[in-house]
Amino acid sequence: MKIHRCYPAAIVQAVILTIVSARAQDTTTDGYVTRKEYDELKAELLAMKKELDALKKTGGPKQESSEGRALASTAPKQEEPASQTAGDLHKEVASALSRPVAESIGSLLGTTKFLLAGWAEGMFEARNGQVSTFSASFNPIFLWELTPKLLFDSRLEIEPSGGGTNVNLVNAQLSYLLNDYMALGVGEFFSPSNVFVERFEPQWINKLPDRPIGVYHGILPNISVGAQVRGGFPIGPTRADYAFYVSNGPVLNTFDARTAGTLDFNSYTDNNDNKAVGGRVGFLPIPGVEVGYGFETSKPGFQGTTFHDVQALVQSVDLEVTRDSDLLRGRINLFAQYAWSHVDHAVYDPDGSLGFGPLAFTSKQDGGYAELAYRPTKADIDFVRNVELVFRWDHLSRDPSGLGDPWETRWTLGLNYWLSPSTVLKAAYEWDQPSGEPNRNALFIQTAMGF
Amino acid sequence: MARNRGCIVALVVLICACACWDMFAGPKADQTTTQSGGAVSNDSYMGLSGEELWSNNCLRCHNIRPPTMYSDAQWEVIVHHMRLRANITGQEQRAIVEFLKSAK
Repeated sequence: MKIHRCYPAAIVQAVILTIVSARAQDTTTDGYVTRKEYDELKAELLAMKKELDALKKTGGPKQESSEGRALASTAPKQEEPASQTAGDLHKEVASALSRPVAESIGSLLGTTKFLLAGWAEGMFEARNGQVSTFSASFNPIFLWELTPKLLFDSRLEIEPSGGGTNVNLVNAQLSYLLNDYMALGVGEFFSPSNVFVERFEPQWINKLPDRPIGVYHGILPNISVGAQVRGGFPIGPTRADYAFYVSNGPVLNTFDARTAGTLDFNSYTDNNDNKAVGGRVGFLPIPGVEVGYGFETSKPGFQGTTFHDVQALVQSVDLEVTRDSDLLRGRINLFAQYAWSHVDHAVYDPDGSLGFGPLAFTSKQDGGYAELAYRPTKADIDFVRNVELVFRWDHLSRDPSGLGDPWETRWTLGLNYWLSPSTVLKAAYEWDQPSGEPNRNALFIQTAMGF
Repeated sequence: MARNRGCIVALVVLICACACWDMFAGPKADQTTTQSGGAVSNDSYMGLSGEELWSNNCLRCHNIRPPTMYSDAQWEVIVHHMRLRANITGQEQRAIVEFLKSAK
């Protein structure tokens, strides 16, 4: 609205300047304008009106800088061999016009870019041994590009729980692009050592309704609070990528017999002065294929306790393959990740005051998943093109600790239907067999939408 | 024991994937389509065009969304965010954004 107000003002200004210019010429032409001069000025005025009409139709250039450039660059081109007086007049009008238009647009749009993205999901789950339940969550992602090099991103997780609503801050990170191959990030971020949470965890991307045990809330960290450096670079015809970070790190569980020796990655505040160091390196030998290795080393024991020098190391290898196949008339995705952890030998509950010690052992865990998906994207029928078959094996186990050898293996078969590129309806059945316990087989129906 | 079992599974999957690679080979990128995508990144990964980079990098994790789904300014923010997540280079980021803007 502000922009349109400027056009009449500019036209009036142009007319006034035209008259002033004609009067100025009076001093040199005995008080009269020749027919030739009159025609030239009339032609200039018509040209300017056309320009203004064109600007009205396009709504003006999108940004302040481009507005100024557009006017400056188009003015001389359309001027042609007009007289110097007309050229000066045009420049004055263009200059007078560009300032308020540019200022108006600038004040409307600003110089930063903000985008609300994210995803939402609704799910029904019926698991053996548990009551069936519906669940839902809304996961907004706030992206704020302050400059082309500076980005703030944050995700919330909002979900109903009990009689209220849970709101969790999933991540909040400020990133700065140092150059084409390196970026710095500070804040709360998805742990680079765990490729699943960085890339496949959102439910419109994850091809099955639940996430694989072992790599999700299992052996590897999901979220880290600290600083990271990351990027990618070409190596001849191939490419590599990297991400390294320092963070508060996990906390060593020592108080509970069932969890003693495991790492708690959900405690985001630090319990000692030691910082965890981790990262991942990936290699892409050909487009559509990536292999990676991730790790995190830390001292997770509480400061001032006998556990403060206990060292922990978690490692992970992963493989991601995406391939369009003419033979299979569709797309194949193969995702696999395997992780293992090692916590130094320690004596838990050394004086028996917690009721389960003394218990001395070296804690080890391992687990992972392999997932194969096929979607007939080259089929002739629309309905068939939108169907996707998914199969996953996932596993988590723990070496003998004196408390048994608990392990859990699951096989999941899923059928998806894609309503749009980022909206999916999923149905899956999971065969879940924990060691020494009744099965926890489950049926899932879920819909998820990314936006 | 469990670790060995997992390693064996992972190894078998990897070997199968490598063995079947040629059999599952997809078509070469259509030259006309590639050229129409413009925005060829000279020193980007394997000299791919903006369209190929967009397709290859996005499809590694999720379905690609049509260029018309977002405005130019929104694509700039999205690709900036995805550059950090997928560790693509600056040249690739620019080539992808240029393609997305030109493909509308």
